[in-house]
Amino acid sequence: MLSALQNPRQAAAQILNFGLILSTAFMMWKGLSVIADSPSPIVVVLSGSMEPAFQRGDLLFLWNRNWFEETKVGEIVVYNVKGKDIPIVHRVVRKFGVGDEAKLLTKGDNNVADDTELYARGQDYLERKDIIGSVVAYIPFVGYVTILLSEHPWLKTVMLGIMGLVVVLQRE
Amino acid sequence: MHSSIVRIQNVFGFFTTVAFVVAALIAASDLIAPRTPSANVAVKDVQVVRGRPHYYSSKKEEYAVIKFSLSADLSSLFTWNTKQIFVYVSASWPNSTSTELTNEAVIWDTIITNPSADHLQNIGPVAMKKLIRSAKGKSVDPSRGKIELKNQKAKYQITAPTGKVAETDNVVLKVHYNVQPWVGILTWTPQIEFGGWKKVKGGVSKVFKLPALKVKKEEKKA
Repeated sequence: MLSALQNPRQAAAQILNFGLILSTAFMMWKGLSVIADSPSPIVVVLSGSMEPAFQRGDLLFLWNRNWFEETKVGEIVVYNVKGKDIPIVHRVVRKFGVGDEAKLLTKGDNNVADDTELYARGQDYLERKDIIGSVVAYIPFVGYVTILLSEHPWLKTVMLGIMGLVVVLQRE
Repeated sequence: MHSSIVRIQNVFGFFTTVAFVVAALIAASDLIAPRTPSANVAVKDVQVVRGRPHYYSSKKEEYAVIKFSLSADLSSLFTWNTKQIFVYVSASWPNSTSTELTNEAVIWDTIITNPSADHLQNIGPVAMKKLIRSAKGKSVDPSRGKIELKNQKAKYQITAPTGKVAETDNVVLKVHYNVQPWVGILTWTPQIEFGGWKKVKGGVSKVFKLPALKVKKEEKKA
């Protein structure tokens, strides 16, 4: 790192390179978001409410465009409860009506009762716009790292520390 | 170029590439396996009763209690990549204004796990041991995926958002399934056939009508 400080041009090139990598990753994420029409096209399963289908740490790919048919009963959807920021992954069990005003009711496979208790006060059904995507593909276990990082924040500092150490040692 | 850090990086990069390719191949293998599901569902008894959505609610709504019989053969859906099959029977009926089936509610569902996923099921430890022992050594038992139900009471009593379901016409029961793979795309009952994947043979019941509200004998006397 000391040699980098002596050569400002090289340091600037390194910083630019790093920035390019970050922005490419960000652009790919946002691009996928636009293609899938979902604010969060890849989600990690956080709870066990859909066991044995999904375990904590599984990665789900969402698709929010209804190209062939509307979101129908039996599809697994991800939605945010009005006013809260927690995405919930459950299955649609009832649908009344068609189009955007259709009323949808969801329930987790591993739950006995449906999601009426989870919805906002006075809200008995979900509408299509509450749903941020339906699950189309699935990869097991891959997302467990993000759960570990969010539940044990000290892991983040440890990982950053190791990465920093590796960068410093590489120069020498 | 030969430091250990670089070697570890190369190995890790290779590992992720190989894992990705293998996962893609496994997911693609799902498309080659043919599917020939068949199902037979019939309504046995249906009643409409008055009830509350839950104990503390003051709303009184009408609920349809349906008993049905189901015989299905979904064993062709099980491949090495299947994790579980979610089977559900739904009742659907049209709105009074159109003939399209615009209302649909699930009345019964079940999860059939592949033996490779049996350990993930939500059953007690004794039943779990029995299940795993019975599936040991077999690839997939051909009887897994066959459902025979006679006079099954629905798991869920259904209602409409208006609270009234009595005397609804043109109701049908339909059988659907959702295949959950270990890796890859989730699939549902197909609307069009493609390749070796056939539509569910049968799977739709005869049209029936929800009866009028059941009146209790005591009320009649009064």
